[in-house]
Amino acid sequence: MIVGERKPLSEIMELLGGAQKVLVAGCGTCVTVCFAGGEKEVGILASELRMKSKLDDHAMDVEEATVQRQCEWEYIDPLRERLDGFDVVLSLACGIGVQAMNERFPGVITLPGINTTSLSLPVEQGVWEERCQACGDCLLGTTFGICPIARCSKQLLNGPCGGSQEGICEVDSDTPCAWQLIWDRAIEFDQVRRLLDIQAPKNWSQSRDGGLRKIVREDLQLESE
Amino acid sequence: MSDGPKSEMPFDPKIVAFCCRHCAYAAADLAGAMRLHYPHSVRIVDVPCSGRVDPLEMLRAFERGVDGLLVAG
Repeated sequence: MIVGERKPLSEIMELLGGAQKVLVAGCGTCVTVCFAGGEKEVGILASELRMKSKLDDHAMDVEEATVQRQCEWEYIDPLRERLDGFDVVLSLACGIGVQAMNERFPGVITLPGINTTSLSLPVEQGVWEERCQACGDCLLGTTFGICPIARCSKQLLNGPCGGSQEGICEVDSDTPCAWQLIWDRAIEFDQVRRLLDIQAPKNWSQSRDGGLRKIVREDLQLESE
Repeated sequence: MSDGPKSEMPFDPKIVAFCCRHCAYAAADLAGAMRLHYPHSVRIVDVPCSGRVDPLEMLRAFERGVDGLLVAG
């Protein structure tokens, strides 16, 4: 899922500047599940803002709204009628949601209330670990289901490196060596031979290095569009 | 929120106590039955379990002007 963390209140107050009427907008999908920007977090932040503005003697009218998904027009369109009179929307959605709001409702500025951090797996309650970097050229089929792009600190295609010690990455002692995990899986499935070929440099043009990525599926497009 | 202590006026904090129905609330009930006094500014909220009390509810109470909270269970 897309994972984020809420920005500190001081940074949010600075972003809001002198705004007098603020709509805190949450998203009911990824950021709800990672407890960063769902209905509950919207309520907490709105409450904090109301109290902070009161303590600062700065009148701020704060309202709350959460939609099921802030990254799709169909779900954010109902917000249109609520936006009248608001100086600012403070979105607790991921960066996609914030931009969707700005594109759909250009007349009002939507500011980010969270930092979108990663595509992560909740490995246990309260712990999210990065698993994917959306590189656009998935290697998991050749690395036994463990991604060296997201999980190897050096993004090696042929590993492990000399810094792997007893299965632990030299960069961070809390991080398992991704290549050790890959080799362990290969041994488990008796397919070590598949790791012996040297992998050529990866085609990064399908990742961010190739510029803005866009998928067009003509079979799904409506004629009027 | 209250103005806080003032030399000429004793500080009389408003306290909201979220009390678990099965223990703390029953204790408060018993205190009442025994005619024990506690400050009138303590407002007791009966909750099914103290684990039910959410940070949002606590913030809402502060927003509405209470000076302190007690979660008892």
